[in-house]
Amino acid sequence: MKKIIELRNITKSFDGEPVLKGINLDIYDNEFLTLLGPSGCGKTTLLRLIGGFETPDEGQVVFLGEVINDVPPHQRNVNTVFQKYALFPHLNVFENVAFPLREKKVPKDEIEARVSEMLSLVALAGFERRSVTSLSGGQQQRVAIARALIGQPQVLLLDEPLGALDLKLRKDMQVELKKIQKQTGITFIFVTHDQEEALSMSDTVVVMSEGKIHQIGTPIDIYNEPVNAFVADFIGESNILDGFMLEDFRVTFSGQTFECLDKGFGYNEAVDVVVRPEDVDIVPIEEGQVTGVVTSVTFMGVHYEIIVDVGGFKWMIQTTDFVDVNEHIGIKLDPDAIHIMKKSEYSDLYGDYSSFSNELDELSDAESEVEA
Amino acid sequence: MRPIAKVYTALIFLFLFAPIAILLVFSFNSGNSLSVFSGFSLHWYKELLNDTNTLGALKNTLILALSASILSTVLGTAAAVGINKLRSRSMRAAMNTVTNIPMVNPDIITGISLMLLFVFAGRLMGLGTSLNFWTMLIAHITFCLPYVILQVLPKLRQMDQSLPEAAMDLGCTPMRAFLKVELPEIMPGVLTGLIMAFTLSLDDFVISYFTAGNGFETLPIRIYSMTKKTVTPKMYALATLIFFAILALLLINNLMDEETAQERKLEKARRKKERKPLSPRAKRTLAGSVLGAAAVLALVVSFAGRAQELELNIYNWGEYISDGSEGSLDTIKEFETWYEAEYGQKIRVNYSTYASNEDMYAKLKSGSVSYDLVIPSDYMIARLAAEDMLLPLDFDNIPNYKYIDEKFRGLYYDPDDTYSVPYTYGVVGIIYNANQVDEEDAGDWDLLWNPKYAGRILQFNNSRDAFGTAMYKLDIDVNTDDKGQWDRALEELRNQRPLVKAYVMDEIYNALESGEADIGAYYAGDYFTMVDAQADTVDLQFYYPPATNYFFDSMCIPSCAQHKELAEIFINYMLSEEPAIANAEYIWYACPNSLVYESEDYIDEMGEEAMEILYPPMDDFKERYNAYAYQNLSNDILDYMNELWESLKIN
Amino acid sequence: MRETVSRDRKLVARADRVALAPYTVWAVLFILVPLVFVAYYAFTDNNFQFTLEHVKRFFTATSTVIGSDGSAQEVRTYLLIFWRSLKLAVISTVICLAFGYPIAYIMARAAPRVQRTFMTIIMIPMWMNFLIRTYAWMTILQDKGIFNNFLTAIHLPTVHIIGTEAAVVIGMVYDYFPYMILPLYSILAKLDPKLLEAARDLGCSGWGVLKRVVWPLSLPGVISGITMVLIPSISTFYISQKLGDGKFFLIGDAIEGQYVANNLHFAAAIAFVLMIVLLLCMGIMRKLAGRRVEGGL
Repeated sequence: MKKIIELRNITKSFDGEPVLKGINLDIYDNEFLTLLGPSGCGKTTLLRLIGGFETPDEGQVVFLGEVINDVPPHQRNVNTVFQKYALFPHLNVFENVAFPLREKKVPKDEIEARVSEMLSLVALAGFERRSVTSLSGGQQQRVAIARALIGQPQVLLLDEPLGALDLKLRKDMQVELKKIQKQTGITFIFVTHDQEEALSMSDTVVVMSEGKIHQIGTPIDIYNEPVNAFVADFIGESNILDGFMLEDFRVTFSGQTFECLDKGFGYNEAVDVVVRPEDVDIVPIEEGQVTGVVTSVTFMGVHYEIIVDVGGFKWMIQTTDFVDVNEHIGIKLDPDAIHIMKKSEYSDLYGDYSSFSNELDELSDAESEVEA
Repeated sequence: MRPIAKVYTALIFLFLFAPIAILLVFSFNSGNSLSVFSGFSLHWYKELLNDTNTLGALKNTLILALSASILSTVLGTAAAVGINKLRSRSMRAAMNTVTNIPMVNPDIITGISLMLLFVFAGRLMGLGTSLNFWTMLIAHITFCLPYVILQVLPKLRQMDQSLPEAAMDLGCTPMRAFLKVELPEIMPGVLTGLIMAFTLSLDDFVISYFTAGNGFETLPIRIYSMTKKTVTPKMYALATLIFFAILALLLINNLMDEETAQERKLEKARRKKERKPLSPRAKRTLAGSVLGAAAVLALVVSFAGRAQELELNIYNWGEYISDGSEGSLDTIKEFETWYEAEYGQKIRVNYSTYASNEDMYAKLKSGSVSYDLVIPSDYMIARLAAEDMLLPLDFDNIPNYKYIDEKFRGLYYDPDDTYSVPYTYGVVGIIYNANQVDEEDAGDWDLLWNPKYAGRILQFNNSRDAFGTAMYKLDIDVNTDDKGQWDRALEELRNQRPLVKAYVMDEIYNALESGEADIGAYYAGDYFTMVDAQADTVDLQFYYPPATNYFFDSMCIPSCAQHKELAEIFINYMLSEEPAIANAEYIWYACPNSLVYESEDYIDEMGEEAMEILYPPMDDFKERYNAYAYQNLSNDILDYMNELWESLKIN
Repeated sequence: MRETVSRDRKLVARADRVALAPYTVWAVLFILVPLVFVAYYAFTDNNFQFTLEHVKRFFTATSTVIGSDGSAQEVRTYLLIFWRSLKLAVISTVICLAFGYPIAYIMARAAPRVQRTFMTIIMIPMWMNFLIRTYAWMTILQDKGIFNNFLTAIHLPTVHIIGTEAAVVIGMVYDYFPYMILPLYSILAKLDPKLLEAARDLGCSGWGVLKRVVWPLSLPGVISGITMVLIPSISTFYISQKLGDGKFFLIGDAIEGQYVANNLHFAAAIAFVLMIVLLLCMGIMRKLAGRRVEGGL
């Protein structure tokens, strides 16, 4: 596959604060690539670097083999779909979409033909004369996409474009975007903090935080084989436990030894163990490898989310079977339900499932300090 | 910022600040010139601090600006709130239009229209005078309102409507919701509106001019009449002081802004959820406004308090009385002191100025003001008398009238000496720069028509005086009612036009002093002022052409006066030796009071040359005067003259 | 709950009406009524009988004008005066716009703290008394004035500016420049920077962004600015006297002249015509701009 963009050793700071710390990334032709990470991780900055709205302090942005650090945005064959769409309020739908073509002085009939084509592509045929301010969020979205694609860029940058849409619409748009990408063959670089979105749409996911790339891989790889605790915690729900690797294919945690599929670690090496909630089987106590007490049960529609206290550590389990609070249950893990990761600086950052968010943790810590 | 942007910005700032820099620098000029810097001195600032009239005008202006800005801000903010809530589109459009009108209307129209309204209202209510502080205040508030509304309205629109709703939901009445929630949000707009209103009020000249009444002179009006006579760096000093005062205010305001911006950031970072309805800044501003309002109220009350004192309202030319500057006598103050000592009662003199006879006449005619004493020129006195606008004087109250010599009595404009007591007199002469003009060309009016000096000649920028020069030159009676003669005079002025450097009134001082022009006609006394301030390369000389304008300015009591006897006492006081001499020395015009021109001290003070020029030996004074003075023209001729003047001007 | 809501609503509605009432009264009394007076005076004679003579005079009065070649010509006095005033005003407005737009743009792009400082600096000349500012310009532009002295000092030939139309225009531009900048700045500052990025992204060079996005979106501010400069420029009289060496007789001079000559009715007639013309101009400009102009500043 052809490499369309290469980012080499990109470093960028704002006001003395480093935002990107040595990014290396290759992006290929006809790829749907997602930059995924929490707010402030630098993904938007990276996107803007590719678009030409920022220049790196160090490093190179290479486009089809040429360094384009100093090439201004209007000369790059890269277009952006902005978070708030940035549609021109003084132009109607037709004119907005036609904007890049008018700039290039494309002849009138060609403009008309291409705009019609684009509007059909985004299912907005017939909206030509409408004013952009009268459109719904989803419709504005699609105009923005049409406008960005009409110039036939080689790369399309999308900066959290689906954030302002409601759930159903978002899901529909995800499907549409994927379809459009396949249809046009243009490389899409998509930025989001929503990991579900990333997993469902992407060919490649790049997980970032604090200006660094943690992992690059397909959604399946990222999900099933997170490289460190951060990725594990960020993608989907994970139970992250401390364990010891006894030998290849055998690991000890939660006071029990399990069979697993990973190897290549040192003898008795301390490791992070990742168990996805949906991979845990609930069995009668006597059949369980470990046991625990159910502390809460939440009905989520698709499944139940239950919190189980296993030896003081709270696990989350997703199951379609109902269990009652305070029930004692047994837990069984197949070998492929267990994924081992090397210890890293992220290892002890994520506790158990006493709470879901860091903020609430901080607040309750503060409260308990006050009480104490 | 890119370099080109920096350069451009710098150039723009240079443009904006050049005149201000000039102003600042020249306020420290040790000389009198406005364009030649002779040295550094604080002289003008000292002068300014002694000039009670100007300081009084400054105080008035500040009171007016403060009151107008605060009141218009309150009214305007309320209006903006109301307008914002209007549902119907047509109502909104109507409100928008009405609000825009004062902004869109030229000053001069707003001024005249308000004046007409006030005069009408005054007549309706049977008031003697209808223009005063309150009418000016109303006028100022009116033109400030749109700017306040235009600042506050956008802020209201931008504000999250759910905020006051939340407040009301939590138990606030609409008023409290407004004060606690909406007001702090829109405060930047309100403050900007306040500052704009203050600026506009401070600087307004045209509207104030039309709606001003007796006794309340604002700074711009005072400056306007100041510049009508002599132009010195003193007004630059005034402008500089105002400039620094405002700069200080703005800096303080900016610093406060800084502080609260930081404060706000910290607040936000710490507490995301809590909402402080009144930020410290809003509290401060609220406190400040309350204090300000209290101050205004106090001042206004002190106004009312003044009603206890005796009052005397005087309307005079600008710079036409000894006012205490440059170590001279402050006649008005002295009078007040003297009166209190003599009669045991406090008296306050309200002193206003006008720039021309016509201005004064228009004010008196409108019936909107009341003055006890005016000092018009001869032909204007004739007109006022003919229109029953003057009161006959009771000379029992003016014993000092005996010092006015026979030759100054029984003049055409007051043949029976009923209405007037002469104050100054003078003759128009020709002033020229001897370094540029050949001696032999000087001597008569044709110097002003001499093509050798094309582009170096100055002519009066008012119709009567300009036509006068042409008519004296052609030996036409300046009071003729023969339109054909007026046409001849116009012809003459037309011929002169290509030679004229500028049509001037008070600008003549600066022009001749700096050598900008070489020839002009003006009053004898003013010649000396110019000589005093002339540049090194300029040597001004003076002569009387054989036929020229003679004028008298005399003290009269208009029929709208409310304190006739006091006015007569004042006239008598002005005729007494000390004030008369002081005034004559200050004004530099000839004085008809024998106490003055026979006084050794006065003669010494003026010097030989001045005495020669100001008091040329004239046995046939009365004849000359009656032949050459301007008399009242009929309306018909006046209109004709104006038409001709316009056609000259638009050529 | 519903009770309190509707009672609240009534309270709020009443509060709003109360807020607007004083202003409405004020506006009618002191904005609209005076204008009625102007019209009243314009259409009546000295005995307050209805007449069209004053308004007619504005349009029909003529004067004889002598050309430089000596030939005489009849012109419509007040129409000529009006035309000249309009011409100078339009020139000044165009200059204010041409030079003010870039500076407003620069200001809007600057850091917030710098913006405030800019604002203050722009407004400072407005705090200097208008009469004195004009006088200062006179001393700068005179033949032996400060600017010419400066040119002589650096061995350049002097220029004759005072007394020309250029001087009057300079005076007007100086006085009204801030009034052009403020509304422009106001609207440019509100411009969403993302729109500019989008334009660049889609292929516009700097100039293209300006032409195709910034300018059209700033039109309401432009209209405001033009209004705030054109109106006072047309009616000014002091500037033309001082900087024009008294050689320019403009509509403001005409009105003042008639007022001082106590021809109040004719003065009102001139004022009336001027007002109508200005209102028409404004109306046309707003229609052209297309969108509703909501408050200039």
